[in-house]
Amino acid sequence: MDWLFFAEVSLAGLATGGLYALIALGFVIIYKATRVINFAIGEIMMFAAYLFLSFAGGMQLPPLIALPLAVLGGTILGGVVEKVMIRPMLGESPISVVMVTIGLASILVGMAEIIWTADPQLLPEFLPRDPVFLGEIYLAPKIAYGFLIGATVLVLYLLYFRFSRGGVALRATASDQAAAYSMGINVRRVFNLAWVFGSLAASLAGILVSATGGLSPQSGAIGLSVLVIVIVGGLDSILGALIAGLFVGWLETVAGAFFGGEYRMLATFSVLALILIIRPYGLFGTHEIERL
Amino acid sequence: MRIGDAKQSYAADEALWTSTTQQVWFGLLLLSLLLFPFFASPYLLYLACLVGIAVISATGLNILTGFTGLISLGQAGFMGVGGYTVAWLSLHTSLPFPIALLAAGLLSAAIGMVIGLPSLRIKGLYLAIATLAASVFLHFVFVEWASVTGGMAGLSLRSAQLFGLTFHNDFRMYFMIMPLAVLMLLAARNIFRTRIGRAFIAIRDRDISAEILGIPLLRYKLLSFALSSFYAGVAGGLFAYFYRVVTPESFPLSMSIFYLAAIIVGGMGSILGGVLGAIFMTLVPEGLKLLTTAITPIYPQAPVFMSPLLGVVFGVLIVGFLIFEPNGLAEVWRRIRRFFHLWPFRT
Amino acid sequence: MLERIHKQGRRLVTAAGLALAVAIGGTAAAQGESKEPIVFGGSIPLTGVFAFAGIHIHAGLSDYVDWINSQGGINGRPVQYVMEDTGYLVDRSVATYKKLSGRHRICCYYGDSTGFMQAIAADLNNAKNMIMSGASFATALTRVDKHPFQFIPGPSYSQMFAIILEYIAAEANKEGKKATVAFVYSDTEFGRDPIESSRAYARNLGIDVVEEIMTKPGSVDVSAEVIKLRRKRPDYVIFHGYVLSPINEFMVQMRQMGLNTKFMGTFWTMDRLIIDKMGKDADGFMGVMPYNYFGEDEDGPMYRVMHEQARKSDPNQAYRPTPYVQGWFNAMVWTEVVKRTLDAGKPLTGENLKEALDSIKDWDTGGIIGVPVTVKDNSFPVGRIYRVNAAAGRFEPVSDWIHLD
Repeated sequence: MDWLFFAEVSLAGLATGGLYALIALGFVIIYKATRVINFAIGEIMMFAAYLFLSFAGGMQLPPLIALPLAVLGGTILGGVVEKVMIRPMLGESPISVVMVTIGLASILVGMAEIIWTADPQLLPEFLPRDPVFLGEIYLAPKIAYGFLIGATVLVLYLLYFRFSRGGVALRATASDQAAAYSMGINVRRVFNLAWVFGSLAASLAGILVSATGGLSPQSGAIGLSVLVIVIVGGLDSILGALIAGLFVGWLETVAGAFFGGEYRMLATFSVLALILIIRPYGLFGTHEIERL
Repeated sequence: MRIGDAKQSYAADEALWTSTTQQVWFGLLLLSLLLFPFFASPYLLYLACLVGIAVISATGLNILTGFTGLISLGQAGFMGVGGYTVAWLSLHTSLPFPIALLAAGLLSAAIGMVIGLPSLRIKGLYLAIATLAASVFLHFVFVEWASVTGGMAGLSLRSAQLFGLTFHNDFRMYFMIMPLAVLMLLAARNIFRTRIGRAFIAIRDRDISAEILGIPLLRYKLLSFALSSFYAGVAGGLFAYFYRVVTPESFPLSMSIFYLAAIIVGGMGSILGGVLGAIFMTLVPEGLKLLTTAITPIYPQAPVFMSPLLGVVFGVLIVGFLIFEPNGLAEVWRRIRRFFHLWPFRT
Repeated sequence: MLERIHKQGRRLVTAAGLALAVAIGGTAAAQGESKEPIVFGGSIPLTGVFAFAGIHIHAGLSDYVDWINSQGGINGRPVQYVMEDTGYLVDRSVATYKKLSGRHRICCYYGDSTGFMQAIAADLNNAKNMIMSGASFATALTRVDKHPFQFIPGPSYSQMFAIILEYIAAEANKEGKKATVAFVYSDTEFGRDPIESSRAYARNLGIDVVEEIMTKPGSVDVSAEVIKLRRKRPDYVIFHGYVLSPINEFMVQMRQMGLNTKFMGTFWTMDRLIIDKMGKDADGFMGVMPYNYFGEDEDGPMYRVMHEQARKSDPNQAYRPTPYVQGWFNAMVWTEVVKRTLDAGKPLTGENLKEALDSIKDWDTGGIIGVPVTVKDNSFPVGRIYRVNAAAGRFEPVSDWIHLD
């Protein structure tokens, strides 16, 4: 066993896992507050990345301006989607709401093809290019810095939800909607807020992911790997999203490196199946007790 | 105008056809389906076969999702099982196609039951993800079990056989697909006149209540999975006979989503809805293309701009139907019928 | 018997349609009788994941047809090009094929994907009414017994790898050492296509395949794979099954680690797209290309004609990507095959066209390909190795034309 190799691969996997965790966070925020699984999260990521491409590549804005602008664009998209598509579905069965998000995904892919064409793209470089060495261990600069940015945002989110007024409202709504309503919390605004925050995390993650993985209208397919993470971690647990994100990122990278690329997805989905059998509501998810 | 809908027995209430008019119309429909291939162009014939296959698969998914309330993202995987079964049988045996299709359905049903096992503990979206995981496993098997599935390159089949007759073109395939589709639709319709079908609906409406009423949940959920995968398996088998090649990429995830979209647009929990949805969703891309061809002389750039619209239209249809017409095309159809029934009066 | 009724039913409809057309259109139909057009058909991916190539393929095909018509067509018969968009989806491709072949008497057809070529093969082998080529370079199509009416307008993916490996072996010979290579390919039918045959081919040439890496489409990061490659330090990495990403990541990261590996690719990655998107990072990227690039100082009558026609159809585009040349070359082969069949006084059936295709030997392509080409097993096993010169923004040839025997 080559321990240095193992350590390098593990670290690369964990760094990817950090990005996964960021996407999963966007997912969980939306689910926690509104009970909607957003299948379009990958497409929101893709859309934000294209915005970044337009701002930084097409309009030649410096990355430091283009990045916030693109994230803002993705965030607004999330807010608008909530108002136009999700709110009318309040009270419908979860299948219907999920299908709305699948429909949304298809719309976004089509729009991206119309606006930016289907050509494969690379994002302009905006992260430092010097390789990062932790002692002997090499780490690719893009994912290292991507991880750092992602982790910073994660911490900010956690602090926000813990201490701010909006964060408390969000948590209150998540734990009991009716009670939150009667305590004077504007639940509608909370719903919108959840979509906004969720899309913000997704947009940022989208740009970071596309910076390494390239960009095309089909890039949104990454949303699928994230589904696995949130199910493993538990749909409504932020902590679960973090841990599962890191774990799944690590697992698929190690499985890919040691057994070959075809085992990447198999490994993660095996874990998923196992979790579903042992703990159907994920590692940290709330087990809902059903009553008549 | 037709009035009066009084029924005096449960049998009458559950009858497939409530009036002679309906029987006549159904007879006419069958007749036109029978005559259609003699007059249709190869293109229409091809689309008709495609629609037939889609109708069978959509009906299967409707049994599971529309009637029993269990969401599945594994439909394409089940179709794959059927397709590979038929392909393997066609290469290694000389069984006539009805037996091969039956085998495809049964194997698919068996796998469906295994995948349905967790459905007692998990439901809703967790179940959807579990079926997604199942389809990833199936895809892995299709790719890696190369000695049976031919690996990434897939398998090429011989034409379907029955009593020395080979089904080597669309014209003959039509006479294999369409009767099967009609038969399986009638079967599906009849399931919901029996205890089993009623149990499915009870589970969908509230599974805990259903259990209290004395419906063994596990057994019926598994039965629903089995039935649904049986339909998917047969559809997949027909798909294999139709194209005479199956590869792992013949059954992508987008196919599962296509069928979900079809039953939503058509109308969940209605056999007619599944049929309408499958027809509609299969023909939408072709309709759009027709539109493109029509406006190209006026606006030559049309193909380049119109074609990505397909994805947008696909999504708008799903979202639009869910928001504005949650009961789908089946409801639209019912409204139109009511209009003519009551004509010249309005509702 | 049923079939006969089917045919008569169709005839009835056609007759009715014809009567209608005559009633409306008067006698216009009577004139074109002697000069029945030769019809090229195509399932073209103007949208979807393959649109980046499909648009140029379409341009290449239609420009060629415009040109050949300006030359009086093929043996005096005009050429008609009919196509529809497929979105790169197999069922829509097949639908397009059925629609077009139902309306026109098509003799040559452009198929947009390997999946389509396989799905239609059984139909085609029954109908025996046309030949087909297209965007697929899949090795499977070189199996003449299974695909008697389909061919590849260049080398198959396996043959592309073979050409690359021949080049590597020759270079290693010059330096008098043994070369090591790594294959990096995507986990798709496209990506896996040449790998198995190339392992054996490399062994025969005395090249060590030190690592094989299969990547999952849509994986975020490849640094774990790069770490693996760093351990093996291959002289060459050959990519297959990608258009752009993740080749760029592999190249940039491996160079950051100070490896002086050379990177190579196959047809679909070998366009200027990679230079446009990667900029100076693309410098030194190599690969195999069966055609001359557009806008170079190559010579040949057909090569000049292509440039003139391209300028005529759209003067604003100074460069035409390789799919344009590929589309153009497809139509050229079709024309040659049709011409040979007509010259022999035979009708345009699939078998006759195929026979004409197989008779192509030492055929001069007028500068589209730098050497005379010979058809072997449904393919043209020829190519040249090029290298990116990022400063000049173009691919430069680094080898002679390699024709596999």
